[in-house]
Amino acid sequence: MRRFFARNAPAYVFLLPWLIGFFLLALGPILASLYLSFTRYDMVSAPRWIGWGNYEYMFTRDRRFWKALEVTFTYVALAVPARLIMALGVAMLLDKGLRTIGLYRAIFYLPSLLGASIAIAILWRQLFAADGVVNQVLAMVGIQGASWITDPDTSLYTLVVLAMWQFGSPMLIFLAGLRGIPRDLYEAAEIDGTPGWRQFTRITLPLLAPVIFFNLVLQTIDSFKTFSSAFIISNGTGAPADSLLFYTVYLFNEAFKFFRMGYASALAWFLLVIIATFTAIAFFTSKYWVHYENERD
Amino acid sequence: MKTSATDLELAIQMDEAARVAHELRLKRDRQNRNGRILKHIFLIIVSCVMLYPLFWLLASSFKPENEIFGSLTLWPSEFRLDNYTKGWYALPISFTVFYVNSAIVTGLSVIGNLVSCSFAAYAFARLSFTGRSFFFALMMMTLMIPYHVVLIPQYVQFLNLGWVDTYLPLVVPRFLASDAFFIFLMVQFFRQLPRELDEAAMIDGCSPFKIYWAIILPLSLPAMGTAAIFSLIWVWEDFLAPLIYLNDIKSYTVPLALRLFLDQEGQSAYGQMFAMSVLSLVPVVIFFVLFQKLIVRGIATSGMK
Amino acid sequence: MTKLTRRALLGTMGAAAAASALPTMPAFAADRSIRHYWWGNPERDKRTFAVIDTFQKKNAGIKVSGETIGWGDYWTKMATQTAGRNMADLVQMDYRFLFEYVNRGALKPLDEFAGKSLMIADFDKGPLDGGRVDGKLYALNIGSNSQVMVHNTRAFQEAGIDADLINWTWDDFAKVCEKITSKSGGKMKGSDDLSLMIETFESWVRQNGREFYGPDGKVTATVGDVTGWWQMWADLRKAGVVRDKNKTVILDPPIAESGVAVGDTAMSHYWSNQLVGIQAVSKDKIGAAMVPHKAGGKPGQFIKPSMFLSLSRDAKDTEAAIAYMNAWVNDPEITGILGLERGIPCSPKVRAALAPKLTEVEKLSVDYFTAIQSKVGPLPLPAPKGAGEVRDAFMRIGTDVVLGKVEVAKAAGTFIEDAQAIIERAQ
Repeated sequence: MRRFFARNAPAYVFLLPWLIGFFLLALGPILASLYLSFTRYDMVSAPRWIGWGNYEYMFTRDRRFWKALEVTFTYVALAVPARLIMALGVAMLLDKGLRTIGLYRAIFYLPSLLGASIAIAILWRQLFAADGVVNQVLAMVGIQGASWITDPDTSLYTLVVLAMWQFGSPMLIFLAGLRGIPRDLYEAAEIDGTPGWRQFTRITLPLLAPVIFFNLVLQTIDSFKTFSSAFIISNGTGAPADSLLFYTVYLFNEAFKFFRMGYASALAWFLLVIIATFTAIAFFTSKYWVHYENERD
Repeated sequence: MKTSATDLELAIQMDEAARVAHELRLKRDRQNRNGRILKHIFLIIVSCVMLYPLFWLLASSFKPENEIFGSLTLWPSEFRLDNYTKGWYALPISFTVFYVNSAIVTGLSVIGNLVSCSFAAYAFARLSFTGRSFFFALMMMTLMIPYHVVLIPQYVQFLNLGWVDTYLPLVVPRFLASDAFFIFLMVQFFRQLPRELDEAAMIDGCSPFKIYWAIILPLSLPAMGTAAIFSLIWVWEDFLAPLIYLNDIKSYTVPLALRLFLDQEGQSAYGQMFAMSVLSLVPVVIFFVLFQKLIVRGIATSGMK
Repeated sequence: MTKLTRRALLGTMGAAAAASALPTMPAFAADRSIRHYWWGNPERDKRTFAVIDTFQKKNAGIKVSGETIGWGDYWTKMATQTAGRNMADLVQMDYRFLFEYVNRGALKPLDEFAGKSLMIADFDKGPLDGGRVDGKLYALNIGSNSQVMVHNTRAFQEAGIDADLINWTWDDFAKVCEKITSKSGGKMKGSDDLSLMIETFESWVRQNGREFYGPDGKVTATVGDVTGWWQMWADLRKAGVVRDKNKTVILDPPIAESGVAVGDTAMSHYWSNQLVGIQAVSKDKIGAAMVPHKAGGKPGQFIKPSMFLSLSRDAKDTEAAIAYMNAWVNDPEITGILGLERGIPCSPKVRAALAPKLTEVEKLSVDYFTAIQSKVGPLPLPAPKGAGEVRDAFMRIGTDVVLGKVEVAKAAGTFIEDAQAIIERAQ
């Protein structure tokens, strides 16, 4: 018993703030939302227990739920790889000995600072309008562009472009990770005459794996939960014609606009299951491709 | 004789080698220079694309109201500082107050995040203890829940604590490592540090806290710098929590104040809102520029390993 | 005790900073306090805080804390506070949401105060009754409005249009659109495309002799009504005399993006209390026209309360709250500060007092209001729970129609079906 204590005590001391926060502040509301997912709750009168009713309705009768899933999955499949490749590519370009790196880094991060503000919503509508800047540029090379943002067939892609454009945070994390790779490894490879792409696959990728893993997991979670950009650009409704009906936008509307907090909670818990599944897969497979320096043996 | 001949041959060979090496270097330098120029051209083009929206925002902040939507040109027909001078005082409370409020909330939150999250991350990454993976999974779960459904239970909770209409709901959770993103981020970086460092320190009789403070933190400056930047930006821009928890307009933060400009149904002041948005970016950009030095300095330190 | 200090400490941190900038802040907390929560914009906030100052000066014992945010975020916060049973004592209400909140029991009726501490006996009965649900007064009208076709007077003049804009019909409307488009060589279209405006569609249904929602809260609008509406606009679109379809499918655009403000069109649809706002962003002088009538049809348009003040379920000091409410609609100094910003007041006395000081646009809205009095129908019955969702469905399905992705008749059938399902689920 004393040995158990001696072994664990230091860790629990360090973990104490988190433990307090989790058990006293976070856990209650989480469990409450789980409970609410089994109720009919309009936020004014008391919640009423309805068992699996919400989940049943969700899977059997709610067309918009399936639409929201479709939109969200499409977005995740496109935006996550696009953003990560963009971020990694630029981070590597910046990492290798440019003296002006600070300036570029700041410039590339700026779009992420604008976040999902109303300014971005207005700008995006103007950029991708039928007579917008994007089409003017396309017209120069002889392409007649569509009205990207108001056409339900293309509006989702403008949000993927937005995600690509705001690659600042994964880029910064990649950069911090690249900084951690000892320079002498590259110098040694240089002397051995190892070509650039092999340096990438042999040195950069394996040593960056923990950071790539982090970005992959976080970007996937974040993309599944994408809210602000879609909400603001679609004016809160998922318009045009539900083509921007992201899962969380739908959830938000159900909760706060249509007074169905119980149903929204059920939606949230199903999303949690989806995200957790993907994260678990990522963690499970990471054993095969993510190696930590100190845990290699 | 023989030796001198060998010497001579050797000398010739060395000379030859030096010449080849010199040529190779020249070639590489030329390639490198070309490569650098190409790289710069590429980066400049990308920069323009990246910056266009910012220029647009900046230009819009100088435009009269009806030009923001009416015209596609970037250049305003006349430059007006009105939006800035009037915008600052457009609301019943001046923006000076909102900036002070935001600075208080953000300052406290960043400190809270860095301290509490690095504590938790150190435990998860460097110490072994019973229940580690269980707690780690719980921590990851808090990242996955859509915030909107815990909003109401959380509100009720803070209301019962008597915290509504104070900064406590915004600040206290951050001292309790509520943002799992940063824990996970730091965990990934801490795990990369060589294990021998702790072991050696442990043999020298260092306490876990000493190891955390004297070894792990200094070696993780890039990660800590990154976390500080993100933390500052996200808290500075945070909107939903201040919206829910702050009632008195005198306690509003900058992002909340920006929302006071817009009225879907009535008279909005977009120009002023844009002008104030531009100004609200200034502290963040300054912080970014200052703190990214920390990321750069991180290399120098980690060079020792 | 500790709770109090902590709360006081952090709560006043911002306030302490504010104190330096705001010397008028009272040094001591008054013994009675009420909270007033509204959605606004810089102009409205200034006026409202001035009202609060005035009220506090006259009622030294009552402290009013003003809480405000923009429309989009207002309802999120309101729902959260409602759930936490921490609503402000007085909340601003909208006609669209009134019934959602009343039906769920979040508001208190005002009838017991009427005539005692709330002096509303001489108010216009019609607009006042807009705040009644099931015979009880739950919301005090603090301004009325009606729909209005805002138009660009310069464009109308140049195209030589002399239609009677109060009594005109949809046929006249189509002709005007045509004239303006051809006169400007297509640069300026006749009107915004109102396909997705359920509010105007509701008038259309009434012109056909029905209400959108029947007395039992069921959807009584027919597939034929919807088809007729969408088909009319489809024809106008085809003729090229209304705004581009890609602009139409942007939902609830801000005033500054409307056709009249940008200069794309000569007519946009708005509410009469928004006239001031539209004029502020339009280059040309604007005028006000009624929603066109159906030849030989019933009156469709109606006058409704644009905003209400309501007493919430969580109000503690109702006496102070009602005193504040009463001052809002009666005190000459306060109503003078408020002006017409929230709509036309329903007290004839207040209107008379405001009349001499009106600006040109304000005068336009008052004149318009007077002109339509005899042309409008009665206020429709309260919309049932779920009406907000029906509105979203109308815009969603209508988008496909506007973009030509689905046939009008088929979409109309889908909409009515969906609307019925939504109402049924919401009950």
